Amino acid sequence: MELTLNHFLFVSGALFAIGLAGVLVRRNLLIIFMCLELMLAAANLTLVAFSRFHLVEGQPAYDAHVLLFFIITVAAAEVAVGLAIIVALFRSKETTDVTKVNTMKY
Amino acid sequence: MPVYYLEFIVVALGLVLLMVDAFVKLEDKRSLARLAILGLVVVFGLLFFVKAPATAEGGIWNFYAAPDKLSLFFKGLALLSTILVLIMAIDYTPLVVAQTANPEPGAHPQAGLGEFFALPLFACAGLMWMSSANHLVSIFVSLETVSITFYILVAYLRRNVGSLEAGVKYLILGALSTGFLVYGFAWLFGVTGSMDLAGIGEALAKEGVNTTAALFAFALILIALAFKLGAAPFHLWIPDVYQGAPTPVTAFLSVGSKAAAAVVTLRLVSPFLASTPLVGKVTAVLAIVAILTLLVGNLAALPQKNFKRLLAYSSVGHSGFLLMALAAAPRVSVENAMSPATVVGFYLGAYLLMTLLAFLVISSLRAAIPGEELDSYRGLAKRSPFHAAALVVAMASLAGIPLTAGFFGKLFAFQMAIDAGQWWLLAAALVAAAAGFYYYLKIAVSMYFSAPGKEDDTSAIRVAPLTGIAMAVLMILIVLAGVAPGVIIGLLL
Repeated sequence: MELTLNHFLFVSGALFAIGLAGVLVRRNLLIIFMCLELMLAAANLTLVAFSRFHLVEGQPAYDAHVLLFFIITVAAAEVAVGLAIIVALFRSKETTDVTKVNTMKY
Repeated sequence: MPVYYLEFIVVALGLVLLMVDAFVKLEDKRSLARLAILGLVVVFGLLFFVKAPATAEGGIWNFYAAPDKLSLFFKGLALLSTILVLIMAIDYTPLVVAQTANPEPGAHPQAGLGEFFALPLFACAGLMWMSSANHLVSIFVSLETVSITFYILVAYLRRNVGSLEAGVKYLILGALSTGFLVYGFAWLFGVTGSMDLAGIGEALAKEGVNTTAALFAFALILIALAFKLGAAPFHLWIPDVYQGAPTPVTAFLSVGSKAAAAVVTLRLVSPFLASTPLVGKVTAVLAIVAILTLLVGNLAALPQKNFKRLLAYSSVGHSGFLLMALAAAPRVSVENAMSPATVVGFYLGAYLLMTLLAFLVISSLRAAIPGEELDSYRGLAKRSPFHAAALVVAMASLAGIPLTAGFFGKLFAFQMAIDAGQWWLLAAALVAAAAGFYYYLKIAVSMYFSAPGKEDDTSAIRVAPLTGIAMAVLMILIVLAGVAPGVIIGLLL
């Protein structure tokens, strides 16, 4: 069987959906954060797949790869800041359960 | 001077500030903020001396659009809001120090304050870059520069549960919107095979474009942008984050972040609006989002008791007016009609003036009115006529009363909807504007005509000189733009 663009898009779509479902369903902040990373990974996979099957003069379109590396870098920065905030929250509330982070309400 | 030097100067200034904070023994770290303000004023001046490049091709110009009036206008907005936010931050210092001080003996009494003044500069550089971004990579990177800086700033009061909670909420939802944005970008690239906006526009305008995939990409990107703009139904983070964040950061979020999101929306949505196969569906979706945002933002503001929360819903409502201008754009066929970019630019300029004025008042009253509850503003006119007058001007402009900047902002947005024949949109906007009159003017009335509560402090309140000057300038500008809107429009056309 030959791998086509659709296979990659199905896998990355499934990854994105799993990540999104995780963000919506899970309560632990760290797990939510992991699911967010999963969504970014899905986007990366989509980018690479499109670039591989989008040949420009016989070469993949490398623009997409550039965006991919920026996404990885930015995601790392986001994790660095995010974990720091989660640690600070844990210090003051002793929990990472999102349902307990609710002092402000309508 | 090439225009992109401006961003580099702002970043360098931020780095200098961090270095000074780390290596120079400062008695009072507020001088860092004064240094930053000075630097930004210089950059603001340089804005008038940039020249259009001879060639705008190759190298950095692949990622950075040649300067046009719109991008320079938004750069000016970013700089102006950062300057005013830093002025606010100086007033707000005692509170930040109380929540971030290092408890160990021998530590600097203001340890942990320096970054509070340096971070807005990095956000400012990101905002400025965003207004010129013409490539998906540079849009993404500048958007994230701003977002990540804001995550830190929102959660800055690290011993305050409210601030941390706001920070976590903003972090999770911001990262979620980033996920949608990059997935949308990936699909947009897949549909068009191009990463720069010009190429995307060309590919989308072709007849044979895959409309299903293009609309999927549009939906994903619109979700992400609606998060950043605070458009319904993705506005749920706004009230909590605005309430919990330190007031200067709230002001920066509501003005800087919204202006940047609006300019990115303008740039990303226009290729879709220019494409004949897609324009009908795209406009319908935009109109629905605009109607929802107008109604949700303004109606939910009615029962609010906390001033910052009220301004949060008001900012959602104002996003609705911005989206209204966008949704009405493609059908405008009237001669001499303003372009959506002009309307959005004017609206954001007016919004900046009035919102920052309101936040300046709130943050300079922070010592006298700690809770930001609306009830504690009763009888403010007796305690501080200047604050009360400034707040009245801000509220009148936010409500859109004639002779203020906000009036023309709303008028132009309405005009676009009328020209486009979007009657449902117009009806929603009328309801929204009417609701706005009630909740904005309620505050003005209670400041002048209600007696202060018995237990309330009735002592007079003083204004810090720099804040006073900033408030006076903003009041003058609001009235000026309300009498002669051509002044701002001239900067845009």
